[in-house]
Amino acid sequence: MKAVIDFLNIVLPFLYIITFGFYSYDFMKGGKKFANSKRLFLFLTLLFHFLYLLLRSIHFDHPPITNVFEIFTLLAFAVSFSYFILELLTDIRGTGPFIIIFSIIFQIISSFYIPDVYQVKEVLRSHLLGIHVFNALLGYSAITISAVYGFLYLILYHDIRLNKFGLIFDRLPSLEILEKMSFYSAIIGFVLLTIAIIIGIIWLPRAFPNFSYADPKLIGTSIVWIIYGIGIFTKLFGKLKGKKVIMLSIVGFVIAIFSTIVTNFLARSFHSFY
Amino acid sequence: MNLLATSINHKTASVELREALYLNSEEIKEYFKLIQGKLFSEGLIISTCNRTEIYGIPVSQNISLNEVQNSLVQLKSVSGITSDNFQNYVSGSAIRHLFGVACGIDSLMVGDNQIFKQVKDSFQLAEENHYAGFLMKRIFDSAVRAGKRAITETSISEGAVTVSYAAVQLIEKIYSNLSRKSALVIGAGETGELAAKHLKERGIGSLTITNRTYVRAEKLAESLNAKILPFNNFKDSLHEFDIILSATSAENLVLTNDDIKVLMKKRNYNSCVLMDIAIPRDIDPEVKNIDYVFYNDIDSLNIIVQQNLVKRKEEIPKIEKIIDEELAGFLSWFNSLEAAPAIKDLRDFFESIRAEEFEKNKNRFSPEDREKVEIITKRIVNKILHNPTVELKKFGENGTNSDEAAIKISIIRELFGMDKKNDKEK
Repeated sequence: MKAVIDFLNIVLPFLYIITFGFYSYDFMKGGKKFANSKRLFLFLTLLFHFLYLLLRSIHFDHPPITNVFEIFTLLAFAVSFSYFILELLTDIRGTGPFIIIFSIIFQIISSFYIPDVYQVKEVLRSHLLGIHVFNALLGYSAITISAVYGFLYLILYHDIRLNKFGLIFDRLPSLEILEKMSFYSAIIGFVLLTIAIIIGIIWLPRAFPNFSYADPKLIGTSIVWIIYGIGIFTKLFGKLKGKKVIMLSIVGFVIAIFSTIVTNFLARSFHSFY
Repeated sequence: MNLLATSINHKTASVELREALYLNSEEIKEYFKLIQGKLFSEGLIISTCNRTEIYGIPVSQNISLNEVQNSLVQLKSVSGITSDNFQNYVSGSAIRHLFGVACGIDSLMVGDNQIFKQVKDSFQLAEENHYAGFLMKRIFDSAVRAGKRAITETSISEGAVTVSYAAVQLIEKIYSNLSRKSALVIGAGETGELAAKHLKERGIGSLTITNRTYVRAEKLAESLNAKILPFNNFKDSLHEFDIILSATSAENLVLTNDDIKVLMKKRNYNSCVLMDIAIPRDIDPEVKNIDYVFYNDIDSLNIIVQQNLVKRKEEIPKIEKIIDEELAGFLSWFNSLEAAPAIKDLRDFFESIRAEEFEKNKNRFSPEDREKVEIITKRIVNKILHNPTVELKKFGENGTNSDEAAIKISIIRELFGMDKKNDKEK
């Protein structure tokens, strides 16, 4: 089993890169040469990735959430899986390269550095921790996708304003669709982060003796949560719209990334698994 | 193959001359009567605002294209036209030209797929008036196939190549679903009318027209099932529209920066698209600085048009390849109409059936009888084919290009499914 895990660990970045290649080719050429095969290839990549996560969980006897590089491979899966579902629901197939690139980055980092950890602390085997991490990861995937669509919205918005009618203008869906996809992803991300935060606040103080409300990750996630909350509610009540909500989503994403870096690589806290 | 074609088009003549030689359907019918039997045995006439083209199989080898041109000029009583205003085509080049026209690569606006429908209508008219015969039908089928392939296999007809359509294309990059949007078209002139039609075609939810001359707005609104707004107070309702498209011939601004500021306030800053396709401009360009306003004028829309034209021109080599393939297919069919290959194919066809049946049943006979059976079955086939072979040889002696010969050979091929069998073997 270990040999299969190691093989999949090496193969997965390549699978994501090939999938990215199919999506990018169609985006650049504007054709539909790989319209169906690229989706099939993404599905197969996700299937292999799921198998990899399953085998890791069985072989090492814990879910892959015990260190940052396990989290990264989960994040790579969650981002592409969320995109896959979104593509199936909306049938908008032109934005794949902009999302799958994130899975490539996360998976390459994970594949290089992921350790083989057999012994983990008892607290990391908890189901509640699993639910907390699962919601937090899916939430971060959703806000990543929200930010990507937001970013595409801004590029198309500026291209239209500046009369630049090139590749972006030709290939991307309308501003209204990009705004909706960004907004709906943000709502999903907000809901999942809310669940993760609630579980965290209730359970973490009991599980970790060194728990602190001044923990950088907790503060960072709370700021991200507040920003998304403001963005969603002001949009729903018609106070902010279009470009301004999108800007808020991108700011939220940047803070989320910054918070992850600070928490996992710079600061030392109970939230650091590295 | 003896097909003649002459064309006066946007490359060879001014719009005045093209208009002067334009034939409406009644005139085409009249012209059919004039030339059928005298100049051509069968043919096709295409007449649009950009071209008038006459195709035909001459009744004799002595018919020249000058005679055809003169007959057209006399019918329309037009002066000032010389032979330089016509392009002439003979045989394969005539078919190639027709295919090019059907594919839209010979159009003033490259890739204009309106011409494809016009070619189909022209053939229908020729067929209804018994001017299109057996050969023209086959040429037309190939032309239609080439035209359809051009549309489906290339991007020759993609992208807007008129300012009014570019405006609608741009609107669709801002709003995803036009059926949920309302649009106001200011100005019911030619450009406004075209833009309103495009919006309607793209399924706009609600369309309203306003024009200084009320009657004109009324006429356009009626034809498009749109609403009308009186021009003197249309600004009071501006905020109700998600899309405002202005195409008037006014000398001064129709919508000022302040008008749009008021509009946006009333809309609670919900986005609004303003398309100014008028010269001089109708909308103050400063409005593009207002939040949630998307403003484009004719210059920016022209960028889209020019880019799309370049893309369409890049598709021409692909179309030429399609035309080559269809032309080769047609000529292969046409050559098969010659008597000698038809005789060979017919004999091969019967022989293959005989040989197949003999092989299936030979075990029913003793080895010494088999040879006799083979000789007898060959004799039967030869006797059956004797008369058809003699008749086919007569076609060959009379010349293979006669319509009658072509029709008869084609009927024989179709009756025995010889072409299908050949295709399978290929």
